[in-house]
Amino acid sequence: MAVAGAAAHGAVRDDLGEVFRRDYARVVGVAARVLGSRDEAEDVAQEVFLAFGRSSVPAGEAPGWLSVAAAHTALNHLRTGRRRTAREESLAAVPPVEPDVADAVVTREERSRVRAALGRLPKKQAVALVLRHSGLSYTEVATALDMSPGSVGTTVRRAESALRKELNRHASSD
Amino acid sequence: MRHPTEGDLRRLVDEPAGVTDADRAHVASCPTCLQALEEIRADARLVDSALAPAADGIDLDAAWARLTATEVAGRRQSSPRSRRSWRTAVRRPAVAVVSAAVLVGGAGVAAANDWLPIFQTERVDPVELTSTELVQLPDLSAYGDLDVPQEPGTEQVADAAAAYERTGLTVPGVAELPEGVTGEPTYQAADVVSATFTFSAAKAAQAAAAEGEVLPPPPAGVDGAALRLQAGPGVAAVWSQPTGAPTLVVARVVAPQVYSSGVPYEVVRDYLLSLPGLPDGLADQLRELSADASTLPLPVPAELVTSSSADVDGADATVLTSRDGLFAAVMWVEDGVVTGVAGSLSAEELLTVARDLR
Repeated sequence: MAVAGAAAHGAVRDDLGEVFRRDYARVVGVAARVLGSRDEAEDVAQEVFLAFGRSSVPAGEAPGWLSVAAAHTALNHLRTGRRRTAREESLAAVPPVEPDVADAVVTREERSRVRAALGRLPKKQAVALVLRHSGLSYTEVATALDMSPGSVGTTVRRAESALRKELNRHASSD
Repeated sequence: MRHPTEGDLRRLVDEPAGVTDADRAHVASCPTCLQALEEIRADARLVDSALAPAADGIDLDAAWARLTATEVAGRRQSSPRSRRSWRTAVRRPAVAVVSAAVLVGGAGVAAANDWLPIFQTERVDPVELTSTELVQLPDLSAYGDLDVPQEPGTEQVADAAAAYERTGLTVPGVAELPEGVTGEPTYQAADVVSATFTFSAAKAAQAAAAEGEVLPPPPAGVDGAALRLQAGPGVAAVWSQPTGAPTLVVARVVAPQVYSSGVPYEVVRDYLLSLPGLPDGLADQLRELSADASTLPLPVPAELVTSSSADVDGADATVLTSRDGLFAAVMWVEDGVVTGVAGSLSAEELLTVARDLR
């Protein structure tokens, strides 16, 4: 049966290697935006590709499926505290921000605060935000999350506004 | 002319071509919109910078080698790498119970003093979900306040007696270990997990508006209604291979219960099911499952697991088998207690263990 072939017992889909080489870096990139650590992001990518290898997701839908799975899995790690070891490790893994983006300088502490706030956002908002900032177009985000393209902007804006407020709240209370 | 929405302005930052000519023309000549656009652009930049990934220096070959090693080891169930993927698989049923708890708890309420037990779970029914549907499952925190005061904590304890002392639950005894399972088990004890959900019509209206929908008017008493959900405690005995890969897990957990503080649970549930964003198919399944108020919807990723049912000493058990054939699990509910047997064994072997538990 061609339809369910990839999901047969013990079988790994034939195109796994090809898709892995094409999309691995992007999947790590999505997860790293959530987690701020490449090592943790690579752990997430492994989980995502293991699941993909055993799935029968149509090849044409693979990029969207992988991005959504990476965002969800990484957010789950972030929320459940299934972090690799201590929080410090993920902080240490964050490279210093280039000083030339003067209008958007974000300190290491702020990055960690933004990630904590990201974990508290409604999941759909958080996923839409992460996918958009990972370079998916509005149409791609809309398709991946079954939203209208028109509502992607509203959802992303809402999430960004919440994260910015989080930064301001701390800045003003310091 | 009306001002474009914040969503339109946000898209203008990234994809001007996605915004209508009329909106673009309006923004170009509207000081209010231009100012809003600048704020939105600044926020977008700030967040982009905060989320900038540390993902350079990826070694693709090493990553591929790791993935294939995990795949192969997963089949042999012998190398240290397999232990990890394996544990994830074995934990899935337990995690599923917790997520079902949160799902039902999300449909729940909290706040008042006199909680009425609305239903006690008597049967475990899997709801087959694709990962796409899971993705679409609305986060109920958008519809109110979800408070999880305590994350589920699990701890290894010395023996069955210590597990009993901590939880009040007896670890089921295995009459005869299946072939390939040897040695003494280790014991795990988990505490009670509880969550409360307070429905907020204002918050729900906001969430609906974000989806471009209008919130259906809540029935009397639903705004501010609270549900409390409680699950656990639980115990487990885990047999492992000398390499550390678990071969058999026998677990017992007090089934989730939902308490409502006034408004009947069914009213809250039906209203939640009617909210925008819940996939129709899933809503129907939940409605059907909850009709007798005694089943626990158990979300099972359909692309990973197949489910069927079987009889375990008169109890109606759910049998889950991973599509890759690496593990299986058997779960049933009796007197408000979920018992589960899972392992790198066939469903038949696990059913034999399940039927002979002492």
